[in-house]
Amino acid sequence: MTPGSPASKVERSRSRRVSRWLLVQLGGAVFVLWAVATLTFFAIRLIPGDPAEAVLGGPGSQASQETLDQVRREYGLDLPLVTQYLQALGRLLAGDLGSSYALKVPVADLLGAQIGGTLLLALFALALAWLCALALSLWSTGGSRTAASVGQGIELTSAALPHFWLATVLIAIFSTTLGWLPPVSTGGAAGIILPVLTLAIPLAGFLAQVMRETLLDTLDAPFIVSARARGESERGIRLRHALRHASLPAISLSGWALGYLISGAVVVETIFARPGLGRTLLQAVTLRDVPVVTGVVLLVAFVYIVMTILTDAASRLADPRLRSAETRR
Amino acid sequence: MHSSTQHRARRALASVASATVLALLLAGCQASPDAASSAPVEGGTLTYASGDAEPSCLDPHVGGNYPQALLAGQFLDSLVSRDADGEIIPWLATEWSASEDRLSWEFTLRDDVTFTDGTPFNAEAVKVNVEHLKDPATESSTGYLALGKVESVEAVSDTVARFTLSAPDSALLESLSMPWLAIESPAGIARGMEENCQAPIGTGPFIVDEWVKQDHVSLVRNDDYNSPPADAKHDGKAYLEAIEWRFIPDSASRYAALQAGQVDVLDNAQPDTIASAEKTTTLAHLDAPRPGASNRIELNAGAAPFNDPAVREAFIRAVDVNDGIESLFFGSAERSYSPLSSVESAGYSDESLFGTDLDEANTLLDEAGWSEKDADGYRVKDGERLTLDFPVSTNQSIPAEQSLFEQIQATAKQAGFDVQLSLLDLSSWYGVLAENEYDLVSAPYTKVGPDVLRILYHSDGIVPAPSGYFANLSQVSDPQLDDLLTRASEISDNDERSDLYEQAQKIILEGFHILPLYDQQNHFLLSTEVKGTRSMPTVSTPTFYDTWLAGK
Repeated sequence: MTPGSPASKVERSRSRRVSRWLLVQLGGAVFVLWAVATLTFFAIRLIPGDPAEAVLGGPGSQASQETLDQVRREYGLDLPLVTQYLQALGRLLAGDLGSSYALKVPVADLLGAQIGGTLLLALFALALAWLCALALSLWSTGGSRTAASVGQGIELTSAALPHFWLATVLIAIFSTTLGWLPPVSTGGAAGIILPVLTLAIPLAGFLAQVMRETLLDTLDAPFIVSARARGESERGIRLRHALRHASLPAISLSGWALGYLISGAVVVETIFARPGLGRTLLQAVTLRDVPVVTGVVLLVAFVYIVMTILTDAASRLADPRLRSAETRR
Repeated sequence: MHSSTQHRARRALASVASATVLALLLAGCQASPDAASSAPVEGGTLTYASGDAEPSCLDPHVGGNYPQALLAGQFLDSLVSRDADGEIIPWLATEWSASEDRLSWEFTLRDDVTFTDGTPFNAEAVKVNVEHLKDPATESSTGYLALGKVESVEAVSDTVARFTLSAPDSALLESLSMPWLAIESPAGIARGMEENCQAPIGTGPFIVDEWVKQDHVSLVRNDDYNSPPADAKHDGKAYLEAIEWRFIPDSASRYAALQAGQVDVLDNAQPDTIASAEKTTTLAHLDAPRPGASNRIELNAGAAPFNDPAVREAFIRAVDVNDGIESLFFGSAERSYSPLSSVESAGYSDESLFGTDLDEANTLLDEAGWSEKDADGYRVKDGERLTLDFPVSTNQSIPAEQSLFEQIQATAKQAGFDVQLSLLDLSSWYGVLAENEYDLVSAPYTKVGPDVLRILYHSDGIVPAPSGYFANLSQVSDPQLDDLLTRASEISDNDERSDLYEQAQKIILEGFHILPLYDQQNHFLLSTEVKGTRSMPTVSTPTFYDTWLAGK
């Protein structure tokens, strides 16, 4: 293939397209992170409570003026808000998340120690939710009227279950009554099962709803009709053709789902006493521990952005229409 | 002669008694397995589940809250302790005396105690600890406040420490008994705050081995321990080899973990789990009301409508508390009629002031000018509704207490009070109080001894601290009360002190400044395999020094 041939032109324009796409995504990511940092910084100061008290062992401190002054000086809380904001932004740009007011350790160390547990929890829950949703939607669209209505009922019910209630019920069944699983996580592998179930069940309900709708639409689409006409088996149609289509909205939902799972982690980690970002965030907000709150929110935003870019890319891979649409432009 | 007969008789009785005891013991050894299991067993790890917030620093000098005290009691000793009768007893200090003017105190210290890092315990160590507490850089709140009258400490010799005071302080010994003023290794303190927060070093029965944030604190036994308080049940090292201190914030999970045998002890037991545990044979209940103030609702006399004593009395006549406590606490809380905790011997209570009488409430309000009612049935005066703002801290009021406040709200409505409950997180709640936007509030206060009355009801307590916090939330300002409380805090004679505190409590109760509810609830549930655990008569934290695990 010589340079200038039509094929290489296509090749070059595709790589330009991909790099432009990446650049736009990166620019967006930086903007979102800045906006999140700014919003968090000001929002946490709008709620009543003095961050200096976080340093002094929590609110309601009877600390003397000297002690308060000492703390405010040490953490720069005596400076004008705008100065504090610019300083915080400068530190963030340099990659420094600061130190926790309450725990007096670097925020990066704190998050580094906590993110693993939360991500593990979220990814297991996401995987389990996907599996359940796939199985449920395939079964409920299988043609049986009973399966359709029962499947729909299961989706709706599980999607509506609040985490705190589900967690309590699961503990009551599997720990207190049956004694199969530990009620709180103490490091062993068995400890993660109930938290994962708690997060996965409502999410599976959501995903299955979306998948079933698309699956039903797709099964009526002309290309399925022609596939049937070609004599493909019903099973092959469903697994090879329809499912690919049905998974598209679910893939793009997965970015959202991870955010949903991390917010659910606040409840689940508290109930099952698991260390993690959710529990860290809850404690930090209660104490007005500004650097930790900012750190957790930024980290979650970052994971969210990465997931969105990945699901975008995955959608483009799974759906050639997205790619050709840009070529035509 | 008379006396010698008595003497002989007593001796005879004593020998009979000891023979009986011996026989019983022998019988027990041979026959009864119960007697064998009642002898302490050495070894094992106790798992403790705390529902309190995880401390941000394990050094109780820094800040100074209850979760810190719970842990610090296991690895730090104090100069003195308090026994079950409220008497101050020796601990690291063997004796103490005050000068004639009560401005100088000398403490004689044990000469055979060593911190777990090898540093000797001596008068210099006491001096370093007091200075650490008073140093603004330590960021101490509770300990700093308790040492308010202590100007300096001097090491007279290795074993004698002299405290110099700016004014007599009848609460000094009680203050020194609290875990927030416990004694730490000077070498440990010198490491700096970050390291000392992670693992403070004391002379206590256990040693902080590791703290995995958001998960657990590991404590291991101090094998050289020789300094238990005078009322401990044994000498030498603890029976337990280690304690695993876990943080399990959710009450139902904590209880499920106890039932499943994942943990041996839990704190912050809620009324429903206490009732459920009491029906089992495998769980025991330790009720350890906290010292200091009772749990009470304060009526803010600093602003309308409660600046009118008749309206305060009307509120107290209108609300029905007892039915609510009975139904919501399942018998785990007993109604209080005192400003002080039932563990304080100086507590004075008067049930007759707190009877419910709706008719009387209505008459009082009519006479106070709140005679009209609006369309919703609430009383109005000059176009203003009789509204009472009641901010409630969801951190400090357990769910049962929040429900009790709702019942109080409902019964107060019958007399025409519009009680506005708002559930707030701790920071917001303190914010509302600092802004003086409340008429009713329930704020626990833990301190050893009746001097808590001075903190809560002296008019000095209305002046906010630099953080906006003020302790006198009922905003009582009464020169006679101030005088009683000041005199009580300086007097040396115990009976006179109790008498002054009784007069002060009468003024508080008869002025309808507070609605006492019950003691500050502090319930623990234990597996029945956990033996020998008691709560310290200081701030009611459980101590695991005498604890052993049976049947393991």
